[in-house]
Amino acid sequence: MSSYHLSTRERLLAIVNDIEIVAKELIENTIAPKAQKMSSADHAQLVELLVLKDKELKSTLQLAAEQAGIEKNMDALREQVRKQDEEINQLQKQLKEAEQILATSIFQARQKLASIAKANKRPVSSEELIKFAHRISASHAICAPLTWQQGDLRRPYPTDIEMRLGLLGKSDLNINGHNLQHPSSLNEMHRNASAVTGTAGGAGGEIPASAPNQFAWHPSGELHMSMGSGGGSVSLDTRAHKDASQDDVEVMSTESSSSSSSDSQ
Amino acid sequence: MEVVETKPQITNIPETKIQPVEIEILPVVYDIIRSVEKDPIDNTAKQKESAECSQKVLELQRTLEASRNTIRKLQGIEHSKEEQLRRLESLRKQLALKQQLIKKYKNVQF
Repeated sequence: MSSYHLSTRERLLAIVNDIEIVAKELIENTIAPKAQKMSSADHAQLVELLVLKDKELKSTLQLAAEQAGIEKNMDALREQVRKQDEEINQLQKQLKEAEQILATSIFQARQKLASIAKANKRPVSSEELIKFAHRISASHAICAPLTWQQGDLRRPYPTDIEMRLGLLGKSDLNINGHNLQHPSSLNEMHRNASAVTGTAGGAGGEIPASAPNQFAWHPSGELHMSMGSGGGSVSLDTRAHKDASQDDVEVMSTESSSSSSSDSQ
Repeated sequence: MEVVETKPQITNIPETKIQPVEIEILPVVYDIIRSVEKDPIDNTAKQKESAECSQKVLELQRTLEASRNTIRKLQGIEHSKEEQLRRLESLRKQLALKQQLIKKYKNVQF
């Protein structure tokens, strides 16, 4: 029979159709008038065929029951496969995460190693660093003093005067139209202006010769910068300013940053 | 009845035999033929008989339709048995492969 490639469902439905046809034939034969009745042999054959079809139906139904059992097993297997799939996906995600973390860590570690190597090429003594740090922060250019209150005229950043006293301020003054002030008069100006004696300039002694920026401590406690062409040294006031110089700053400066500094309290 | 092999990792489902569906068409057919062959002589009985007969014919049709519906609802008969067994085997292989894969990657030493 060529129905073996068919699904069991199709086979069952075909058998039912066959049974219907044969049964109809039989009944019609029974009803039919004697003239149109088929021979008894044919009739018997039909009956046999019907019985055969019924048996086939029953056996195929049995097969269907077996297949239903197999299908249940397959469902359970599919469920397990689905769980494995989930687990595989989870592991994959974790693996990707781990790879990303490792890649980032290795990159950062390489960077650190590179910077360590770079630092090792040009070592600086910690004492020197501490000295410079002290010097920079002594004038409260980094952080306001702990006793700072509202209304205190000191500022937690280098003020205009201090900037002008720096290297840039000294070198550009000619271009801007202002004359280069004589160093000595400046000293006097600041000595007059400052009332508080150096509490900030704590470190005594000379800077080691290795410093490239020509700073030098004056015996009086002020920080001096040596001028390359001008000669002599200019004192940098690292102590608290008083009002006069501050007013000067406020009037003279036109930059927005300075004007905002006076506003911000 | 095929025996389900027990693989160590795959949880085995206890095999409960599913009872086949009962479809009885022949009794109805027999009934119809018998009542046709009875062929009573007096008219009232004849009429009653033919009425009953047509009822039985309708019943036969109903039975056939009901059996078709039952067959359509049955699970697991989308394919022939051989095809189904092939699919079952491939499903088992798939499961075994996946379990192996997971085991391999969980145990790998970096």
